[in-house]
Amino acid sequence: MKSELELRGVEQRFHARGVAAGHITAVDDVSFTLAAEPPQVVSLVGQSGSGKSTIARNVLGLQKPTAGSVLYGGKDIFKLSRSEYDEYRRDVQPVFQDPYAIFNPFYRVDRVLWKAVKKFGLTTSRSKGLQLIEESLRAVRLEPENVLGRYPHQLSGGQRQRIMLARVHMLRPSFIIADEPVSMLDAQVRKHFLDILLDFQREHGMTTLFITHDLSTVYYLGGEVMVITKGKIVERGPVSTVMHEPSHPYTKLLLDSIPQPDPDNRWTNRITVDELEDQEADAKAAAPAPETPII
Amino acid sequence: MRILTAVLRTIRNSPKLAIGLAILLVMVLVAIFSPLIVKGIGGSTDPLELAAYERWLVPGPDHLLGTDQFGRDVLAMVVSALSVSLQIGAIAGLISTVVGVIVAFVAGYKGGWIDGVLSTFTGILLVIPTFPLLIALSAYAKNVSLFQVGVMISIFSWPFAAKTIRAQVLSLRSRPYVDLARVSKARDLEIIATELLPNLLPFIGVGFASSALGAIFGLVGLEVIGLGPGGVIDLGQIIFNAINTGALTLGAWPMFVVPIVLLTLLFAALNMVNIGLEEVYNPRLRGVAGE
Repeated sequence: MKSELELRGVEQRFHARGVAAGHITAVDDVSFTLAAEPPQVVSLVGQSGSGKSTIARNVLGLQKPTAGSVLYGGKDIFKLSRSEYDEYRRDVQPVFQDPYAIFNPFYRVDRVLWKAVKKFGLTTSRSKGLQLIEESLRAVRLEPENVLGRYPHQLSGGQRQRIMLARVHMLRPSFIIADEPVSMLDAQVRKHFLDILLDFQREHGMTTLFITHDLSTVYYLGGEVMVITKGKIVERGPVSTVMHEPSHPYTKLLLDSIPQPDPDNRWTNRITVDELEDQEADAKAAAPAPETPII
Repeated sequence: MRILTAVLRTIRNSPKLAIGLAILLVMVLVAIFSPLIVKGIGGSTDPLELAAYERWLVPGPDHLLGTDQFGRDVLAMVVSALSVSLQIGAIAGLISTVVGVIVAFVAGYKGGWIDGVLSTFTGILLVIPTFPLLIALSAYAKNVSLFQVGVMISIFSWPFAAKTIRAQVLSLRSRPYVDLARVSKARDLEIIATELLPNLLPFIGVGFASSALGAIFGLVGLEVIGLGPGGVIDLGQIIFNAINTGALTLGAWPMFVVPIVLLTLLFAALNMVNIGLEEVYNPRLRGVAGE
């Protein structure tokens, strides 16, 4: 049951007009491995447009990479047999960024949970299904009577995002692919959400790929971190090491971009990404290319 | 039940939609019960029979709208003609909506070269001037039935529905809830039917209404110049007869006026439904005053 999720030389290009090459490369030769055992949190940090959400779509099988492959249990996810595919779907589940768009406005929110029950054959009896749903809602600290039977627009963003977590809780996947799950939540709800993720890791042994642009949440979650820019992973390692001794100039830039909570210390000497180009070339010459360790 | 109350609420909040639907409903009811109404008018004689009554009777208590050049009761003719006109609207509207929806969903959801081929094809059909072609087609096809005319008209009217719905499918298919359905092992057809289709119902309704309207007026156009299907009387043919026989000079004005009033009402009603639906589902068109 417990297996590995591996990206091997994944490259994703998109056709684009008005670009010299005729395409843009969103993800460029990305390799990493997520192990289900021991459960861990791996963060993927980068600015908007760095390709991190595309990686999430690749891993979830929503987008077939142009080159390279995504392997689940050693097999390409686009070439799985029927039963392997079922297992992969159950075992790799997402939490998406936008808690508003994730629900079809036409239906009540219960439907998302019932779909999970039925599609993954959790149970065939209605009362057992309801019991599972209520149990999972309580696990993410929602009162079933407050959310069941409601339409998406009647719930807050935090409630909706937690319903997605309840869905994950029901399915008990080995891997959660969380694509900027807290970027649209306010600070208090955000902490709540992260705590639930950590609970899942501890209690149910779920490994999370946590995609974000926000270093403070990465710091809070701990574990491993990978820094991505322009489709390439430029730095990886334990959070404490990367945060305190960043080796790549882009990581330094990210760290410098966190505003200091000090009114006397104005946020002035930032470097911009464009300036980074030259430094990056220098860094490449100086430091050897990062290996692809198994995290 | 839930859907029904939602529909009722929508109608209550939009007077345009309510009025349009009410007019349509009355017309459809008249059309459905037209055999009975015709029978009621004629009594023992069939009022649509040639020489059933005197020719060119002026409107009076016996014949509310008078009689025509063959001595047929105009009111009975109008009632059964309305039923024919609505039938052609329903046939052509249904065919073009179904074809349009299928093409739109396949093109919009599958994308890639399939979309390219289908969109180019719809684009080509869209710019063909329909009416001259219809005239040519019906001049060749003698004795066409009502259904065949409906098919002919819908050949040219489905691209409109397809274009608008495809655009909506394109915007809906990249919604996160579609991705969520895909990771929940939903198949393409299931996603189209359960995730996309319900959100597109208003657009499909508008598409149906405009193709039906196009078909009704297309047939009226053909009939007015004498190229309609044989054996049936629709509103256009009554107008054709009125023009041909100089009915207005003989005091038989209802033959000319009543069909036109009915067509205008139908046009107004369907448009009110269209506008009403658009206002309900496009918040930018709603009044700023709020409720």
